[in-house]
Amino acid sequence: MVKKKIENRYHTARQVILVDSFMGKLIRFGGICVVAIVFSIFIFIFFQTLPLFQKPEISEDIVIDLPAGEYELVGLDEWSELPFVLDRKGNFRFVDLEHNIGNISNFSLADGDTFSTINYNQNRQELICGTNDGAVKIVKLNYDEQFDNNIRKLSVKPKVDSNYQIGRQGFPIHMIEYGDSGKNKFIAAMQEIDGQQEVSAISLSQKKTLFGAGKISIRNRYKFNDQIDGTPDKIRINSQGDILVITTLSGDVYYFKINPNSCDLMQVFQPFQDLSNSEIDSINFLFGGVSLVFTSKTGENRIYSLLVPEFESSRIFYHTKSLNSLSDRFQFYAQSLRNKLFLLGTKNYISLRYATTEEIRWESQVNYQIKDAKISAKYDKILVLDDSNKLRILTLSDPHPEASFQAYFSKIWYEGASFPKYEWQSTGGTDEYEPKMSMIPLICGTLKGTFYAMIFASPIALLAAIYTSQFLSFRYRAIIKPTMEIMASLPSVVLGFLAALWLAPVFEKNIIFLFLTMIILPVSTLLFAWVWSLLPTSLTKNCHIGYEYLILFFVIFAGGVLSWYISPIVESSFFSVRNPGTNETAANFTLWYSQNSGVPFEQRNAILVGFIMGFAVIPIIFSISEDALTNVPKNLTSASMALGASRWQTCFNIVIPTASAGIFSGLIIGFGRAIGETMIVLMATGNTPVMNFDMFSGMRTLSANIAVELPEAPYKGTLYRTLFFSAMILFIFTFILNTIAEVLRQYLRKKYKTI
Amino acid sequence: MTDIDRNLINSESVLKKPPKGDCYIWLSGLGLSLCLLMVFFIIGLIVWEGTRAFWIKDIVQITLNQDSQTHIDGSKILGGEIVLKQQKSIAEVKKSGDPNESNMEWQLYVGNKDHYGFSFFYIDAGDIKTITKPGQLIKIEREEYGNLIGYPEKIIIDNDTAIDSDSSIFEGQFSTLVNEVADRRDEIKKLEKAEIGKINRKIKSFQLQKRTTDDPDSLKGLEEKLKSLQKEYEQLAERASRLRQTQNSHKLQCRLITGKRIIIPLGSIINYHYPNQMSISDKLFGFFQNISNFIVSNPREANTEGGIFPSIFGTFIMTLVMTLIVTPFGIITAIYLHEYASKGVWVRLVRIGVNNLAGVPSIVFGVFGLGFFVYFLGGSIDKLFFSESLPTPTFGTGGILWASLTLALLTVPIVIVATEEGLSAVPRGLREAGLACGASKWQCLYRIVLPASVPGILTGVILAMARGAGEVAPLMLVGVVKLAPSLPVDGIYPFFHLDQKFMHLGFHIYDLGFQSPDSEAAKPMVFATTLFLILLVVILNLTAVTVREKLRKKYSMSAI
Repeated sequence: MVKKKIENRYHTARQVILVDSFMGKLIRFGGICVVAIVFSIFIFIFFQTLPLFQKPEISEDIVIDLPAGEYELVGLDEWSELPFVLDRKGNFRFVDLEHNIGNISNFSLADGDTFSTINYNQNRQELICGTNDGAVKIVKLNYDEQFDNNIRKLSVKPKVDSNYQIGRQGFPIHMIEYGDSGKNKFIAAMQEIDGQQEVSAISLSQKKTLFGAGKISIRNRYKFNDQIDGTPDKIRINSQGDILVITTLSGDVYYFKINPNSCDLMQVFQPFQDLSNSEIDSINFLFGGVSLVFTSKTGENRIYSLLVPEFESSRIFYHTKSLNSLSDRFQFYAQSLRNKLFLLGTKNYISLRYATTEEIRWESQVNYQIKDAKISAKYDKILVLDDSNKLRILTLSDPHPEASFQAYFSKIWYEGASFPKYEWQSTGGTDEYEPKMSMIPLICGTLKGTFYAMIFASPIALLAAIYTSQFLSFRYRAIIKPTMEIMASLPSVVLGFLAALWLAPVFEKNIIFLFLTMIILPVSTLLFAWVWSLLPTSLTKNCHIGYEYLILFFVIFAGGVLSWYISPIVESSFFSVRNPGTNETAANFTLWYSQNSGVPFEQRNAILVGFIMGFAVIPIIFSISEDALTNVPKNLTSASMALGASRWQTCFNIVIPTASAGIFSGLIIGFGRAIGETMIVLMATGNTPVMNFDMFSGMRTLSANIAVELPEAPYKGTLYRTLFFSAMILFIFTFILNTIAEVLRQYLRKKYKTI
Repeated sequence: MTDIDRNLINSESVLKKPPKGDCYIWLSGLGLSLCLLMVFFIIGLIVWEGTRAFWIKDIVQITLNQDSQTHIDGSKILGGEIVLKQQKSIAEVKKSGDPNESNMEWQLYVGNKDHYGFSFFYIDAGDIKTITKPGQLIKIEREEYGNLIGYPEKIIIDNDTAIDSDSSIFEGQFSTLVNEVADRRDEIKKLEKAEIGKINRKIKSFQLQKRTTDDPDSLKGLEEKLKSLQKEYEQLAERASRLRQTQNSHKLQCRLITGKRIIIPLGSIINYHYPNQMSISDKLFGFFQNISNFIVSNPREANTEGGIFPSIFGTFIMTLVMTLIVTPFGIITAIYLHEYASKGVWVRLVRIGVNNLAGVPSIVFGVFGLGFFVYFLGGSIDKLFFSESLPTPTFGTGGILWASLTLALLTVPIVIVATEEGLSAVPRGLREAGLACGASKWQCLYRIVLPASVPGILTGVILAMARGAGEVAPLMLVGVVKLAPSLPVDGIYPFFHLDQKFMHLGFHIYDLGFQSPDSEAAKPMVFATTLFLILLVVILNLTAVTVREKLRKKYSMSAI
């Protein structure tokens, strides 16, 4: 090809080319950036929720060799800086984990007694020691913080706090338990006397004075052997000191309720009744002190909780959970001090179990022999003491143990509940409170509100769309559409406020009127149309077609007046309630409803939400389906008309079927909008997370739940991430719905092109 | 409907029977009528209730029958504004066996909350003996405890001289004194807000500097500066407290309708009228005065009294910042998608995605805004630039910037869709003519296509503004507050305080209706605020509709 020299004046200026390419690049870059940012919303939310479903990460960080000794147990302070091991002689070995890692300091309780048994309470930092002489010593571990050049140093002085004679003198105590509710304390011990196991207990009371805690005195002494059938094996008291359980060798459990002045047997049960070997290998209280974790001799692991079972009236221990079995005999148990997790293991197996969801969060076979283990108070470390006097410190990272798909989507038997259920209640009053975070009630509430909104909105919106697109006179279409747009633009906070403060009381008083109107209006319209058709044409021809909706204003008015006058009659003849006191009857639907259905009538209920959310959704359904209906190719309708079909016949047989995809897409988008609506449901429902589809009760939706709880949720906490998770559910839900609607619309557009 | 079939239907010879299914047409018409009725009703209700809140109502004095059980503080004479007359619920009527009882009850606004303990009171219509409208009844708007309703008796000047209300100079004196009080109140406010506030800010910044410097010389200098500022502060504070004392030196004695005598300091009076003496024109004047006061003044008493200026301003600034962000980005993206991106599956997918995003619940954007903008971005900014004031967050907490950004994300699909629509409405011929004349792609875009699609873009931007102004749910997560101490834009350097929390009309409605201590008393305020929000949103929307209609006409006219 011959290159022709282009004349100068045909050259494009360099500047123009530069600007052109620069702007091209800028727009491409900017466009791609915005698209990326907008879509990264989903990715960001997704990554925020990911940690919820991660398994705990546990790694063995430090192994400390302890000096030779017969160590009994391992304990640790609140900050896990200064753990210790202890032998029966009362010799402590404190291990520094903060400053001089692995440095061991010794401490010995001065009296040099050998203890026959030691029980460690991690929560209160106390040791309860039984002596060979039938006495009890309570040793307090007093941790002391000191600041040396702004470096925090922790030191500890174990001190024998008090000393009581509990059992028979001269006989060693081989098991001891202690519970403390602040005012009342309860200590129980077991001794072997002439081959007989004897359980005895004392209750202590502490007087409260103006100057703090006062003197402690023994209030009562108890013996339990005559109430127990069989040989006592183990005793347990919960940390609040109001429950005492005693097991026997044959596998029976005796539950005593500890009152200030008595100790009453409440229940006898066999946790492993159904097994061939019903003997109990271990029994321990879970954090909170109302659930017992059992293992059987065969390794079965079950949890019994204190609750009022269905159809019963008293609080008893009831089998609520079964977890995976151990393969060997039980060796150790440790409870977490912040949630319902516990460590359970055999000699060479360790597992971290979550009582609420029956889930094993972590398990591991180890190649050493475990003696004892503990979870740190902050739930960030696990301490394991093994046979060869090594203290192993495992770092535990499990920020969201409460979260799992099971917790979110399946029925959970929470402590104290009578049966498993779906429940949302994220915060409670006490430390022992377990957040209940089932998504099901929220999803149910969301669908409930949406359902009622759609029931109200879709017929009205579709009828209006059909009328506007097919029958309305052209002149008015230009006014109607902007009016509907204004309807769409009303801020939802305004609608919510109107619903809650203005409409709710009106509704409550006139509910019968409302229902009657809903029936009377269509009926009277049809009646009117029939009468109209009977009128001589000379009368009706002055009213041009396309103006029916204006005449209908009068019909609506007349219908409204009619039902206003009928409604008191209906109410008094069908919905009267009798006052049993005065024997008078009064017509009152709200009272009648709550008497006959057993569900209370709430002022802010699903009907109200359906009505006002329906109002918000109508213009959305209207505009999309009206678009679809209007764009049905004219040749189809004209052909139909030409063949002699009436206007309605054309509309019903030709237009609606052709545009059905568009109508459907409008309904779907309306549905999606109702699902995500926040302010209306926040204001017009009671925001109680209930699980029913009752007309006259409230609900809590996913979106309102986020608006209520997220501002208060601690950053990166479980609740925070859970709310992100529910936002993700909303996002996915609406995104799928919108995509379906969009695909339908595109299909419709293609169809119209080919016709 | 073409002319032919209209003729067909109208000619009697053809139509012996009405066409089949005509009644269903009526039924579908019912849908439209109901929609229209609901829209007009709701808007009408808001306009009616909203304007009614500003109207000055007459005060009635009601004497009750001697045998009725109702009374205020033992008095059978009471009075106030009639709020509503309503039918009692049947259960209530049946409950009491009073033979005189009617089934109507009146709700009165009796005011004087500090003396009665309530400001609304229900009476049975059957108990009413006489109703009068004495001209001397005064309604005084106070700084605290809502309105006072009663008879003025005398002004006590400096605890000794008294001017009786029947003396001829009373009116003149009273109004001059109230005006003086108002001037002084402004002065106090100026002192406290502007001057003392300025010193406070200086002290704060010096204290921050003190925390970060180690140099002993500059430390000493700072300390001296702090000391002199402290002195200045004390002087100003003293002046303010002296002014406050003068505010309370004159007093007004009033007799409540129930007969109780009370004395209030003139300093607490903001405004007063004699509603029963006012003519219609006076009331009309008062009505407009009330509206303008409502717009320009600050809220009082947990937002239930006073005006909504900070909310209007907050909404305005937030919408403005949002528009400044969303417009360029939305337009660039739309141009990219429509003009530059190669047509294919990718662009189709992106377009579906963008369309869908418009349907994603707004609260999800709020969640993203809180997690990403506030905690992640704001937290990082704080660590980098404002580490000296940590742990008090500067940007790491909700603020107007984050709110605007969140709403910009929420509204960007609207701008993109509308701009794309505008771009594709530009006739192909115009574009081709430009290119044929040798314009580069950018020149053609910039000189021909973009100007032609301005109405489309404008429509999108206005719709985005309307949506942004009315949206509340995401704002609750990213920085809107019940009561902001200062405005996000003011005369203090650096003038724009984008890290500040702000007030918003929509949130104001939610807060007043649901979190206010006395929701009955707040109701007129909520309706009035709602009216303003609705006006704003509806005006924006109507503008968008008009612009779009113009655009359509323009292109349907052009012959290309």
